[in-house]
Amino acid sequence: MPVIELQDVSKLYGFGDATTVALDEVSLRIDKGEFVAVMGPSGSGKSSLMNILGLLDRPTHGAYELDGRSVARLRANQRAKMRRNQIGFVFQSFNLLPKLNVLDNVALPLTYRGMTQTRRLKKAAAMLERVGLSDREYFMPKQLSGGQAQRVAIARALISDPSIIIADEPTGNLDSSSSRLVMELLADVHKTGNTILLVTHNPELTRYASRVVFMHDGTIIGDERSKLGDVPKLAKSLYFLPRKTIEDDLAGVSVLMQEVEKEGPKKSKKAKNSTKQKTRKYQSRTKKKGTK
Amino acid sequence: MLGNDIKLAVKSIRSAKWRSFLTMLGIVIGVASVVITISLGQGVRQQLIGQIDHLGSDLITVRPGRLVNRDIAGNITSVNLPAFLGMSSLSENDFRVIKEAPGVGIAVPFAAVNGIPHNDSVEMPDALIVATNENAPAILEQKVEFGAFFSQEETTKEVAIIGQRVAEKLFNENVPIGKSISIRDRTFVVRGVFEGFQSSPLTPNTDYNSAIFVPYEAGKRVSGGNVQIYQVLAKATEKKKTKTTIQAINDGLLNAHAGQADFTILKPNENLIITNTVFNLLTGLIGGIAAISLIVAGIGIMNIMFVSVTERTKEIGLRKAVGGTNRQILGQFLIEAVILSLVGGLFGVMVSFIANILIRISTSLQPVITLPVILISIGVALVVGVIFGMAPAIKAARRDPIEALRHD
Repeated sequence: MPVIELQDVSKLYGFGDATTVALDEVSLRIDKGEFVAVMGPSGSGKSSLMNILGLLDRPTHGAYELDGRSVARLRANQRAKMRRNQIGFVFQSFNLLPKLNVLDNVALPLTYRGMTQTRRLKKAAAMLERVGLSDREYFMPKQLSGGQAQRVAIARALISDPSIIIADEPTGNLDSSSSRLVMELLADVHKTGNTILLVTHNPELTRYASRVVFMHDGTIIGDERSKLGDVPKLAKSLYFLPRKTIEDDLAGVSVLMQEVEKEGPKKSKKAKNSTKQKTRKYQSRTKKKGTK
Repeated sequence: MLGNDIKLAVKSIRSAKWRSFLTMLGIVIGVASVVITISLGQGVRQQLIGQIDHLGSDLITVRPGRLVNRDIAGNITSVNLPAFLGMSSLSENDFRVIKEAPGVGIAVPFAAVNGIPHNDSVEMPDALIVATNENAPAILEQKVEFGAFFSQEETTKEVAIIGQRVAEKLFNENVPIGKSISIRDRTFVVRGVFEGFQSSPLTPNTDYNSAIFVPYEAGKRVSGGNVQIYQVLAKATEKKKTKTTIQAINDGLLNAHAGQADFTILKPNENLIITNTVFNLLTGLIGGIAAISLIVAGIGIMNIMFVSVTERTKEIGLRKAVGGTNRQILGQFLIEAVILSLVGGLFGVMVSFIANILIRISTSLQPVITLPVILISIGVALVVGVIFGMAPAIKAARRDPIEALRHD
């Protein structure tokens, strides 16, 4: 059953000569329970697609069905109401409200539904427990680490039982260990039946996805289903081609990508295993320390 | 939703205490000046009404100059304020005309005597020296508390009956009977002290607590044979004949003044009208200042709300992303503006209460703050908040969520 069905959706900005095509007749169908990673260079139309899927924006042309309901032509207020019930956002910069404590931040979407405060906070507390931050309920966002903040943001996205969670580079501001925590939380959320749409620049993260969509110049140039834990072939071909020229270095091709490329996908899988072993070792070591 | 908005607004106002305080200050001043002005007016009116009740509704006041204009039915249409400053006076002949008009029971002249009274070295420059006749206590419905008033036969005798404040100021005691007051080169012996008069400040009526009453002829002698009768009070023989008596006095005076109505006959309640006119002028003036202050305060609120909306663009974007509708965002910011001005209004009322106490302590005025005044002024604060909070709230509500989320 499709959660999202896009049919020939275009998005144009500007008028006349200055018209830019952000999305060019994109068709996309996402089924319930999928974990879709969307990849593509900057300016490929990822953000425009996300904004339309997230009902923050309206397509210029084309049809969009969310949960079987046509939403392409809805007015701003109707879209807001759809957003509050059916879409959960996770942003790169967390976007927690600095003046509210963690619990209130998580409960924020429910206030717009007119839910009573007790019910709101109860539900928010349950969500925080789910993301493993029960002991941070009354912290202010400032007092959280990046990884914790993003987990709070995920709890906020989950609280209204959305049809789809849209995560726009959720690990973009995080270090690698926090990234892994956040991605594993998302994978966990996915396992419990949620549909997730992940925008990322990092091909490594496509391991968590069940499907990868590649965008370029406003169109979808590749759409591949892959097993969880694998980096899809397209990701390899598009991102791991040898790009060893000085120009590339100057253009700022990330060191991380080059590292990944050296190791290759299988190696990196091993590497992941080895990190797991390492963490296990670390845990046992700390346990020993604890017993001592 | 509303409770939540209020809580949020309070949080946001408290997070910028100084800014909020300074923004509120305008509303505080505006509301306080509105409340103080109205309460002063009401206080004076109440004091005057008390005085009129005391004097009785049949007291006829005759004053020099044409103070008021009347329509054909005899109702006051307007008040000539400059006439109050005029130097005209009633003559002794006028007094005689009034006294002998048909229907008049008693008539009492009130003439101002020049000179500063003093007792040895103590002077009392703000005392009023009134030359009058033996019927003054009767017409003022005022008892002489200690001693006695002078009689008809004593009109040339140099005695004085004084108000309480004169006793305190000149003699520093309550009952200075037998002591003497010097006025110019004459010495007046204190014969009696009046009971406390009900005063009504800021009205054309004088405060007789600061007055020295002397017999008419004696007072005239002090002034070199010439006194200014600034008013004549009269009463009809019977209360219900007051109207015809006024007519008789009017006819008599017109006759004596060769047909020119350069005098004014007032009924007690008409005194109230004159006071109202004076007060409406004052109230209008201060009210205008208060209105300007409230408008400026409103602009201050609008300004600070615009700043707040810009600062919180990202918050607006997020709130919209998680499902806040335009109306809900508008409500949030509008409520913040309204709370800002409402709290300012409450502070303003508090300030006016403090000012009220200070005014009562330091002057003879007795401002009265009534519930409707408080409600009206808080209502005004509310309206200011809504009017000036609307534009920033609309701006917030209309933000595009995508751009707002991208904003830093």
